[in-house]
Amino acid sequence: MKKQLLEQILIKKKHKEEFALITNILTGESFIFEKNKNIDKNFEKYSDEINNYFNNKQNGIIENTDIFIDTYLRPIKVIIVGAVHITQYLLDYAKDLNFEIFIIDPRGYFASEKRFPNMNIINKWPIEAFEEIKTDSSSALIALTHDPKIDDPALKHALKNKFFYIGALGSKKTHLNRCQRLKDSGFKEEEINSIHGPIGIKLGGKSAPEIALSIIAQLVSETHKS
Amino acid sequence: MKKAIDEKILDEANSWIKANHKVALVTVIKTWGSSPRQVGSKMIVNENGDFSGSVSGGCVESSIIEESLQLIKENMQFKKMELKVSNENAWEVGLACGGEMTIYLEIIN
Repeated sequence: MKKQLLEQILIKKKHKEEFALITNILTGESFIFEKNKNIDKNFEKYSDEINNYFNNKQNGIIENTDIFIDTYLRPIKVIIVGAVHITQYLLDYAKDLNFEIFIIDPRGYFASEKRFPNMNIINKWPIEAFEEIKTDSSSALIALTHDPKIDDPALKHALKNKFFYIGALGSKKTHLNRCQRLKDSGFKEEEINSIHGPIGIKLGGKSAPEIALSIIAQLVSETHKS
Repeated sequence: MKKAIDEKILDEANSWIKANHKVALVTVIKTWGSSPRQVGSKMIVNENGDFSGSVSGGCVESSIIEESLQLIKENMQFKKMELKVSNENAWEVGLACGGEMTIYLEIIN
């Protein structure tokens, strides 16, 4: 592989682009494949197969050929509402995972650059903040303020946009009250039941790093289900 | 399909190259049976035998380092390697996990 090609791959990864590296393992040639862009002329005859593999987000050697396709997927958008103590640990655990994280908190003391250096942090109310983030059914929401004024609008946004993972911090009682409020706002029971509340898998711990670990574990597990 | 991991290995490869190391990139291109790492898993090796990343759970890395060093020494560009379990050489290159895999080694230059 040429150095220049490696640099191109790193730039594309940094820009969160979706692409594939295609290699002919007999000749050692490789090129970067992008959807709807021209295919390198040495690989043109495999065009259909390459597109097929890419569309199915499949990695591997294309059957009966010497062409290897390595797909680079866009990171999963994870929106954390609440720049709280647990959030700081979530970021630690998430740093080697393929997540693009945004933190929303309208409270200035919480959403400070000093507490969260080099992070996408939006010091606004969720409704305004979501105008800045493009989300869809491959996005995830972690709501951590357990303050209805802040969490509820974010939960409603996530439900409407069919996020694949929605989790909300709070005791069973807090969660029951939350479910009732969402019901009163017109959300269906099956939508409300898709919220993981209380958030996280059962680890038993109550400290911030332990709760963060249980949330990340649940998020990764849900990632592999969908 | 979503992918929860982000291999940082290519960033590391780039920093090794910037530090004037010769770097071999090793990628799992095919697996059978219970190989522990998925297709697309990567490791890098430099001319000193330093390595980072993994292509198995530690079963075959040693022999891959040797192959990579040879590739660097002989100034070859790339190579394909098949790794299988076998009783005679299980201590050297066998996959203790009982899997089989094909590996692609290439020099980044």
